[in-house]
Amino acid sequence: MVLRQIDLTNFRLHRKTTINFSDGINYIIGGNGQGKTTILEAIYYLCTTKNINAAADSDVVSFGQEMFEASGDFNELSKDHTKIVFDLSRNKKFYYLNEKAVNSSASVIGRFPIVVLIQSDHAITLGGPSDRRKFVDTVISQASQTYLRLLIDYNKTLKQRTNLLLQIRETGNNRLLEQLNAWSESLVNAGTEIIKHRKNFVNEFNIYIKEAYNRIMTDKEEPEILYESSVNTETQTIEENFKSALLNERDNEIRRAVNLVGPHRDEFIFKINGLELRRFGSQGQHKTFQVSLRFGEFFYLKEKLGKTPIFLMDDIFGELDIYRASKISEYLPKVGQTFITMTDLTKLDDLNKKENRLVIIIEQGKASYA
Amino acid sequence: MIIAEPLQIAIDELSKLPSIGKKTAQRLALHLLKSDKQTVEALVKSLVELKEKITFCRNCFNISTDELCDICKSAKRDRTMICVVEEASDIIAIEKTNEYNGLYHVLGGVLNPLANVTADKLKINELLPRIEKEGTKEIILALNPDAEGDTTALFIARLLKSYHVKVTRIARGLPIGGDLEFADEATIGRAFLGRIIVQ
Ligand SMILES: [Zn+2]
Repeated sequence: MVLRQIDLTNFRLHRKTTINFSDGINYIIGGNGQGKTTILEAIYYLCTTKNINAAADSDVVSFGQEMFEASGDFNELSKDHTKIVFDLSRNKKFYYLNEKAVNSSASVIGRFPIVVLIQSDHAITLGGPSDRRKFVDTVISQASQTYLRLLIDYNKTLKQRTNLLLQIRETGNNRLLEQLNAWSESLVNAGTEIIKHRKNFVNEFNIYIKEAYNRIMTDKEEPEILYESSVNTETQTIEENFKSALLNERDNEIRRAVNLVGPHRDEFIFKINGLELRRFGSQGQHKTFQVSLRFGEFFYLKEKLGKTPIFLMDDIFGELDIYRASKISEYLPKVGQTFITMTDLTKLDDLNKKENRLVIIIEQGKASYA
Repeated sequence: MIIAEPLQIAIDELSKLPSIGKKTAQRLALHLLKSDKQTVEALVKSLVELKEKITFCRNCFNISTDELCDICKSAKRDRTMICVVEEASDIIAIEKTNEYNGLYHVLGGVLNPLANVTADKLKINELLPRIEKEGTKEIILALNPDAEGDTTALFIARLLKSYHVKVTRIARGLPIGGDLEFADEATIGRAFLGRIIVQ
């Protein structure tokens, strides 16, 4: 899949910007605060309807303006015109696919697959379990609409169930326990499917992470991801295990008014040569692991969807040593269309020049081609 | 800007309606203000009559002009089946498909603790005595396939375990997360044909 062109109107510093992209590597060069990362933000909006850094949509509207608009033309087998508009006064976002309004982001996600390597990726290996769950969820959700819907339902069930637990605790009304059973059944139904998807995903994804890691680090380092669910997944009967765990925790759940069992408490352990990365990893190993996760995601989605995702990389070369940076730049031509932001062109000299590339200079919200 | 009080009251009342925001309410109020008196009176009369003449069927809680709705009164309906729906508007959607000829039961919502809707706020207890009284053989749960609709269906299915009645759900075909009300007729029709047995 290739993004041919984007048009931005009142989009942060970009009052009116049109850029035509290469189907290979697009280097987006600019100083801090010139509006280069904004280009990645716009591409992400068009692929997911959401903000890349979970910033408020209202922050994206140019100062003093009423709305922002971004549109983009994708080419796969067919041509797709996408447009996103945010109206500040109504605080409402509209998404259009081929001029037709689309109401839920769930029906956009996965259609234009996208992989993003950004600064906040630190959190995936260094942060808490929820950061790793988020990584896993975004990858599987792009590959499977079913999973995304399950996740939406599961999260809604969690909220409803918390509220009911609270009502049971406050009122001591035992008639509500029958209803709690129904909510538990919903939790188990969606939760069991989520656990099965995650279990399969980790099994498959280990191949992809190993491949990516070994391309960047040729030493004998063996990365691995382990899945630790709060429900025992070893046996065939995840559903039964889930049910009995819920039964065991029932009094605790009511006392604390918290959902204590289920995939929302899952953990994914990253290891290198059998040692837990979070505890024993060096800075370089963390960085390599983070980059490998994204390359792994790229090839995983490509395989699953039969479409080549778009790859966004925000200022990654600045943080890497020369060895890793050159390994990654050797790897890049194997990927499809890529968008890489950088602060200056000189870094480009060290990198591969033969590839199919385009250099775009962003200055004060205006784009030009080098 | 100071708005004349009667206008402000009209705007406030209109903006209480679902999917009417402040701006739309303002536009509607100003439009009514510009309309001639007859038009406004006709609108007011229709709204008052709506409230006075239409009630809810005491058997199935469908919208009705009588104590019993036309469906409950009809001799042509298959009285051995009850289709459980969330709102009366779902009945309209299902009737349009011509795939179903049984009776209905309107819950008036689904379980939703966040919105303070627990089972006692719905017409669930009213469903149970109907089974014996009407000799019901099959209950079809036609609730939206989202977290709340699914859980409500599971809850009702649990209650019906002690009754000798077949419980089915209309299964595939409905857009997941979509409202039954807006689903197109062909999909609902197919959903009825493909219902699955819950117990
Ligand atoms: Zn009736």
